[in-house]
Amino acid sequence: MANKILGQFLRSRPSMMMFKRWESSEPEKRVTIHDPFYSQPQKNKETYLEVVKMFEGRDNRRRGHVEFIYAALARMKEFGVQKDLEVYKALIDVLPKGKFIPKNIFQAEFMHYPKQQQCAVDLLEQMEDNKVMPDTEMEQMLLNIFGARGIPLRKFWRMMYWMPKFRNLSPWYLPEQLPNDTTELAKLAIQRITSVDPDTKVEVWQTEEIEASLDKTWVVSAQSETQKILLADQPTDDPLVVKGPFNIYLREQVVNYFLLIGKIRPEIKDNTDPDDVSKIEKPLGIPGLIGSTTLPALRQTVHEQDDGTIVSVCATGTSSRDSLLSWIRLLEKNGNPLLSSIPVIFTLTAPPSEMAIQETQPAIKDNKEKEESKI
Amino acid sequence: MNLARKICTTHHSYVTKNLYRKFRFSAINYDNSTATQPQVKEEKYNFEDINTLERTERRKAQIQPFIKDVFTSIFNKELLAYPEILNKEETESLEKRINIISNVFENPQKTAQDRRNVLKNTKMYAAPISLTRNGLAANITESLRYLEIIAGDFQLGQEISDHWVALQALQEGLSQEQLSMIIDDLISGDKPVSLAIKERVAERISQADFRTAAEMDSQGIWYINGEKVCNYSNGYILLLATYESAQLKAFLVHPGASGVSSNGAFVSFMKTPATPLEMINNDRLAKILGLSRLFASVLCRSRLSTAVRSVVEYTRPRAFSGKPLSELTTIQSTVGNALLDVYASESADYFTAGLLDGYSEPDAEVEVAMCRNFIANHGLTSMLHLLTIPALDKEEECKQLLDDMRHVATRGETLDSVNMFIALNGIHHAGKVMSEEVKQIRNPLMHPTFIFKKEKDDPKLTLYLAEYLHPSLKQPSEQLEYCVLRMRFACETLMARHGVKISSAYTELGRLAEAATEILVMSAVLARASRAYCIGLRNADMEMKLAACFVEKTRDKVRKLIKEIDDGEYLNLDHFTTQFGRKALDSNATNPTLVEKPTARVFW
Repeated sequence: MANKILGQFLRSRPSMMMFKRWESSEPEKRVTIHDPFYSQPQKNKETYLEVVKMFEGRDNRRRGHVEFIYAALARMKEFGVQKDLEVYKALIDVLPKGKFIPKNIFQAEFMHYPKQQQCAVDLLEQMEDNKVMPDTEMEQMLLNIFGARGIPLRKFWRMMYWMPKFRNLSPWYLPEQLPNDTTELAKLAIQRITSVDPDTKVEVWQTEEIEASLDKTWVVSAQSETQKILLADQPTDDPLVVKGPFNIYLREQVVNYFLLIGKIRPEIKDNTDPDDVSKIEKPLGIPGLIGSTTLPALRQTVHEQDDGTIVSVCATGTSSRDSLLSWIRLLEKNGNPLLSSIPVIFTLTAPPSEMAIQETQPAIKDNKEKEESKI
Repeated sequence: MNLARKICTTHHSYVTKNLYRKFRFSAINYDNSTATQPQVKEEKYNFEDINTLERTERRKAQIQPFIKDVFTSIFNKELLAYPEILNKEETESLEKRINIISNVFENPQKTAQDRRNVLKNTKMYAAPISLTRNGLAANITESLRYLEIIAGDFQLGQEISDHWVALQALQEGLSQEQLSMIIDDLISGDKPVSLAIKERVAERISQADFRTAAEMDSQGIWYINGEKVCNYSNGYILLLATYESAQLKAFLVHPGASGVSSNGAFVSFMKTPATPLEMINNDRLAKILGLSRLFASVLCRSRLSTAVRSVVEYTRPRAFSGKPLSELTTIQSTVGNALLDVYASESADYFTAGLLDGYSEPDAEVEVAMCRNFIANHGLTSMLHLLTIPALDKEEECKQLLDDMRHVATRGETLDSVNMFIALNGIHHAGKVMSEEVKQIRNPLMHPTFIFKKEKDDPKLTLYLAEYLHPSLKQPSEQLEYCVLRMRFACETLMARHGVKISSAYTELGRLAEAATEILVMSAVLARASRAYCIGLRNADMEMKLAACFVEKTRDKVRKLIKEIDDGEYLNLDHFTTQFGRKALDSNATNPTLVEKPTARVFW
């Protein structure tokens, strides 16, 4: 807490201003602002590191390095390097080695070079926020700069205690680098949702396959064999419902997905006394005869939830109602013939942005298809 | 002698009886002195028509089911006398027939056809058929003896064991006329009957576990549709099918019937006409078909014995460091352990056969299942240990032995499914007896005295089994007694913990079944050794050692199993192991692993 308060005092973030220069061309001397980050034509890692190198080479005393680091930290997102450990190391390398190491007990106790230490802590904090794991080389650099009693070191050690612990805590593994392609991203998202049933197959279809479709886009649809059977068993007089869009987050990215929901089977009703063990059933005991000859008509799969049986899940490229209609048609084409004779209701809680365009166009009306939306 | 004992028991007062028990040097509790004596009833001959002479069975009155009672810690001490079923004439004719068969089976020069012929000549294909129908009317004990020899030829052993079981079912299931029509064809040995009960595991949730269905057309002919696991499909096939969606019935498919096609171990039926076994109900059918488990046990044991023989043959001429290889104690103990398993399984098999043959309306399905599971479980392990001795020197033979063993141990059903059958039967029986008690334990606030009751792992031995065995088996008999007395506690714990949901606590039931199995085998081993020593059989001293050794070894196993039952899923680690397995089964990765490689890093 004390650190935080001290940090507030010490922190000054000249986000735009970089180097103050006396413009010599003007008769009266004026201060002007030069921002080397701003003047870079291409914003990527190379140019970012170039700026840092430029700063290091300009003046061997490295005046204004704290300000430079704060400014550089603020510009990271712009250059897309906020997740790059190498860049953070380059920034730390800006700080001079040896000068900030306390030489006696008083220096060590009363925060030697507080502004510089706070700057390093802020840098580490930004790393933590961006989930960038420091490495042992960074520890060595910090040791060389602030010594073993520096506050940045303490911050570093705490980070190294907690960050590895949280790093792989999620049961749904995501690759280090998320794919840029939205189809791949949607596939990842749908795979995470459908991991409840390992039998699920995730397929990517194109709406072009359906002639009547207006939106030409992709559909990532997932259905397991069990879900196919559950769908095939649905009563044809009750409509299925398409619900959505729901959000699923993959790190910073969000993917919309939709569910196709049917009716549930009755719940198991067991009125027998759970304490009465006098009538426990015993098997018949014919060798090789296991199980029963009939199937229980009761709810017992993971797809049958309280609010309905989830028979399929999808994400489409546009999340529009038309693409969802194509999805239903594609499902019908791919092993769910019952969908041709069963009505489907669309209850989309919030219309996606493309919806407005869709509304003006004549929607393809199927006789058995009822469309509703809560617009 | 017996008279003296009887006088003793009647004269002592209650107090002295207890005193004597404390010191345990008397057979004062030995109230049934006739137990060891085989009871022979006079055979009744029908002298008027010698052709209709049928074998008379000398069965004792019905007794309570033996091992089911053990689940409630009740032990029928009379059975410690070990059953003696065959009389002198029967034994002599049995030995004669076995001699003829074994001469052919043990001669390596004879071909498979020779072996088949000798079985035909000795009426082996008609063994369980009654004498009036030109059979041998062999009971289970005799069948086991025959099968032990026949099992030397593994294929033939499997074939004939199925054949025998099916014949018995047919004998009871078909009407007299139907049976007369096909009996000669059945017992000729050219078209043995095979069993087809097991089906593939369902591949979809919409499939029932058991799918082969029978339908009757308007002319009253039954037709079968479906697929079965069946090893030999060239002769008759006895299969089980459903009709009217939930009822079960057995059917006989004749050789050459239409619509039968076989594919590896699977046989499929397409509108195949079949004869129903109308006269037999499902319970009786289950009892008869259950016998195939006893035969499977014999087949398993014979495989293990063959492996022992093979290892001995391998070891004898070889040397290690200038000494005979056979002097290595590791090899000796491996062989010894295998022989111990063989001895135990043999005792249990004949013990069970005695229960089936010696009493009227026997209820010994559970014992039969236990015999099979005991040797299937221990046999596989022992076999693996044995086969490490010749290692790669006898590659082909080892592979064959191991594969045969695996095949017979999983034939028709898995260890787990048999274990479930054993445990659920035991729990069913125990539940009837202990339901009041369990209800009280599960509602402790209504029955506060039960809260304070806590069983110790040191029950008071009140069964006095030692009094029914040879005195030198006193210590092993007490160990058996301990196990028997703990069974009630184990059942009680399980039922109190799970209530009626006990039938789905599979891992715990597996343990219970295993413990009960070991107890049956221990009882059989002790009874057999005691009998052998008392009547002075050759090598009886060895039997005593085998028995003591086996019981000593097994008691710890049972104690551990029951302790694990008592501990519950967190202490016996079931909770965790199921979790690990579940994670692998639920992951949709192609190569499911629980963890990262040991070289993986999170940071550098």
